[in-house]
Order: sequence, then structure tokens, then C-alpha cells
Amino acid sequence: MTDWALVVFFVLITIWYLTFLATRLDRLHHRVENSWANLDVLLQKRAAVALEIAHSDIADPASSLLLTGAAYQARDADIQSRSAAESGLSGTLGLLLEDSRHLTTAADSALLTELSALTDKIRVAIALHKDAVTRTQMVRKKLIVRIFRLAGTAPLPVTYEFESDVL
Amino acid sequence: MLTRCLKIGIVCPYSWDTPGGVQNHIRDLAEFLISAGHEVSVLAPAADDGNLSSYVVNAGKPIAIPYNGAVARVLFGPVAFSRVRQWIANGDFDLLHLHEPAIPSISLLACWAADGPMIGTFHAASKRQKIIFAIGPILEPAIEKLSARIAVSEAARLTLTDHLDTDAVVIPNGIFASHYSQGTPQPQWQGNTIGFIGRYEEPRKGLSVLLEALPMIARFAPDVKVVVAGPGDPSEVQKSIDPQLRHRFTFLGKISEQDKANFMSSIAIYVAPNTGGESFGIILAEALAGGACVVASDIPAFDDLLGHGEFGALFASEDSTDLAKVVIDLLRDQEKRTQLAQVGRSRGQSFDWDIVAKQIFSVYEMSIVGSEKVKLASDTRSWSRFLSKDDK
Repeated sequence: MTDWALVVFFVLITIWYLTFLATRLDRLHHRVENSWANLDVLLQKRAAVALEIAHSDIADPASSLLLTGAAYQARDADIQSRSAAESGLSGTLGLLLEDSRHLTTAADSALLTELSALTDKIRVAIALHKDAVTRTQMVRKKLIVRIFRLAGTAPLPVTYEFESDVL
Repeated sequence: MLTRCLKIGIVCPYSWDTPGGVQNHIRDLAEFLISAGHEVSVLAPAADDGNLSSYVVNAGKPIAIPYNGAVARVLFGPVAFSRVRQWIANGDFDLLHLHEPAIPSISLLACWAADGPMIGTFHAASKRQKIIFAIGPILEPAIEKLSARIAVSEAARLTLTDHLDTDAVVIPNGIFASHYSQGTPQPQWQGNTIGFIGRYEEPRKGLSVLLEALPMIARFAPDVKVVVAGPGDPSEVQKSIDPQLRHRFTFLGKISEQDKANFMSSIAIYVAPNTGGESFGIILAEALAGGACVVASDIPAFDDLLGHGEFGALFASEDSTDLAKVVIDLLRDQEKRTQLAQVGRSRGQSFDWDIVAKQIFSVYEMSIVGSEKVKLASDTRSWSRFLSKDDK
């Protein structure tokens, strides 16, 4: 009789643990989605600001051309080439800002402050996203998660290789 | 910034009525957020219900436990847990901001109980402890629920990556920098004065290092004076001072914020000889903002805050000879002192609440995107949903 009770107890514990793990994993997947959504919005905004800069007086015609190209590339890139395109945009913006430290007009400096505020936020968003991705990958590597397919059909999140110091 | 007004719940792990860095940080942050138009509720343990600010909710009487080499006044247990759950259920919060969620306290309980956007701020910096191997796996699922982690310094971030293997965004502690930059120099504190503020009876504040260095300093700067401010009983310390040097010391006791600002703008050098246990060094940020020339021990937190010596001079921690050397150099070189104070002042401005709170708020914004409000975790579990459906 006690044997049966023990088996039932063990099974219940296992079920509890499995649901616990599944909830945990579900939460992590949500976190990855949210942090990516954040980052995506910020990067889109940055591309828009880059375009505005390209059309303003800050950029000379040559760098304006470069910047417009890079911004469109970053906007249209699919998921695989996204990080390369964004890094390219970072590089172009960096080049331009390096040159134009001594800028004057109010409208221009407003654009630049907007850009630097965005950059600060992007830096935080990248850190949050990276952390969410690595945590999820860590939990999904657990044997028990793989045996019981606790992740369901959710795709394994991939790390985006952003240069952590954009600009 | 977001125009929408948020409902923010902040959890303070330590007793609200005992003074401390974390409590001050939470109080300033809460008041800043309220003045920016947000609704804030702070849950904290407190021994006395009487004189709590209107935004503080008492979680119960704290108990004193030894933790990390000091006595922490925290609160946990089943009664506290049900209070925390009640606070979360009634609060209808957009997000929770938990402070120090990795120690046994109501912060950890809130992290267990809640589901939704949560942010954790880690204040402590300590060396890797063996015990973490045992408690790490228990903490991990809870810490994982935090949608963003903030560390107050590089030292705190390293502690976090060491102990819990997760990264954090570094956002420094805030000060009201404009307040400190408006001090008026007081003649009685001017001249060749060395300033020190802190609970000087605690050995880790390192006043003894300064005492040991003083005979050497006095030999080169005969008119040097030391002004010590902070709560404590000076008679014990005075006994340990060489009688010939005793007249050089002034003990002010606890001073007001206004006096602190005046103090920082009057003294020649501010010395922070702390030997460890410091994670950020808020007093250094205040000294910098107040325009004092700062000399500090080279413990990681101070080294980081002073930009490896760019914004203030550093000396080898616990080495009184080195301290004496650095102080004598600076006392003799007025120009270098002014130059250090000047770069330090602008560094101090970067810790202003205006800037720091904006950074914290942008982390808030990011963690509430796409999430619902904070709920009790037990309500969202599948079997509870299943059961409540049956009820209907």
C-alpha cells in the first residue's frame, strides 16, 4: 500500500516540476519576444533619424549618400542579415559624427541629441535582449526540457551579433 | 519620456526606519517619480508605523539577521508573504521595481509571488561566496522572472555575474547634484582641512588609516586640520589619537544636508579611506558634486567612480603611508587641487537624479512593452485558470 502512495507522490512531484519548468520556459520566450520588439522599434527609429540626418545640412553629399544607403539597408534587411546591416549603419553614423563635432544650428543639434538618446536606449535594449536570449538557450539545453519537449514548437532564439558599443 | 502616468510598486528589503544607502536611494527615486506625475507605492518593513511617508506601505516588523558581514534588518516568513501577495493583488501595478531581490527578504518574496513586468536593482558588491552553489539553483528561476536587471556599479554587476551568471545594465545611484553645488564656503572649515564623513566607528570606513597617516601629513603641513562628520561617539576615537594631534580634530556629529554642501565646498581635500564593503560610494559622488578635491582608497567601487584617478586621487587601500604621500602632494599643489575639483564637479553632475532617473525610466519603458499588468503568479498558473473556469 505504501509503495503505491510513494509512486503516486513521485508522479505528482514530477508533474509539478514539469509544469513549473514549462511555465518558466514560457515566460522566458515571452521575454525574448518583448526584448526583441523593443530593440526592433528602437532600431527602426534610429534608421529614420539617420535618414533625416542624411537629408539635413549635417551630412555632406557624399556621406549623405552613404548614410541613405545604410539606413535603407538596415530597414529592409531580413533577420539573417539584420545585425550586419545595423552594424553598417552604426559605422556610417559614427564616421559622420566623428567629423561633425563642431556643429551649429539648433535643428541639427536637436537631431543629434535625439540620436544620442536613441543610442543610449539601444545599448540598454541590446543588453536586455542578449540576456533574455542566453537565459532561454541555457534552460532549453537542459536534458529534461528536451526529453519532454517542454519548449513545444517555439523556435530556439538566436543571438544577434550586435556590436555592443554601437556608436 | 512616456507621457502616460504609470503605477509603480517599489519593494525595499531593509527596514525603512534605519538609515542606509538602499533606503535613501528608494526614497529619492520614489519622490522623484511622484513629482514626475507617476503613482508610486513603496512596500518596506518598518518597526514603527507612526511617521511613514504617505507612499510607504508597512510590511511588518523587521528582524535582524547577520548577512554579508553586517546585520541586515529584513523581513520574511509566511505572514510577510501573504502581506506581499495582498499588496500586489490590490496594487494594480504596471510594473514592480524590486531592490536587492537576491537576499532573503520581501523583495525575493515579491519576485516569487508576482508575474508581469519586474525590474531588479542590485546594490551589493561582495566577493564570491561558497554558499551560492547551494542557493543559486533556488534563486535562478526567481531572478529569471525579472525583465531587466540594474546594477548600481561595475562592482555590483561583477558580483551579479559571478554569483548568478546573469548580466545587468549599470545605472549609478542618484544624488541631487544641484543641491550640493550650491554650498557656501564656511571659514571655520577652510584652510588646510581634510574632511571625512561617515559612521567613523565602523572599521570598514577606514578612519584609522587616516589617523595613522596624520603624523606624517602634519610633518609636512603643520597647519593641517581634520574635520569629521557623521553619527557616533567621538570619545572612543579621540582616545586612540596621539595627544599631540588631538587638537587638530573637530568632530561635528551628524550634519544636515545644507551643512554637508557647505562642508564639501569649504574643505581642501575630502578623504575616503574605506577598506571595503562599498558598492558605489554615494558620498564620493556628493563630494565631487560639491566641488571637493577627493582622495579615496583604490577599492573597486571608488576606482570605478573616480574614473581610475581621472576625477580624484587614489591611494593603495589600507596603506597609510601612501595616503599621506598623496595628501601631502595635493596640499602643496593648489593648482592640481583646483583642477581635480573642477573635473570632479562635472563628473558629480552625471549622477544627478535628472539623468539617473531618466535612465531608470527608459528601462521601465522597455520592460512594460507588450506586457500586461503585474498579477499574482498563482493566478496565471494553468491549474488555477482551469479551476477558476470551473467556478464560472
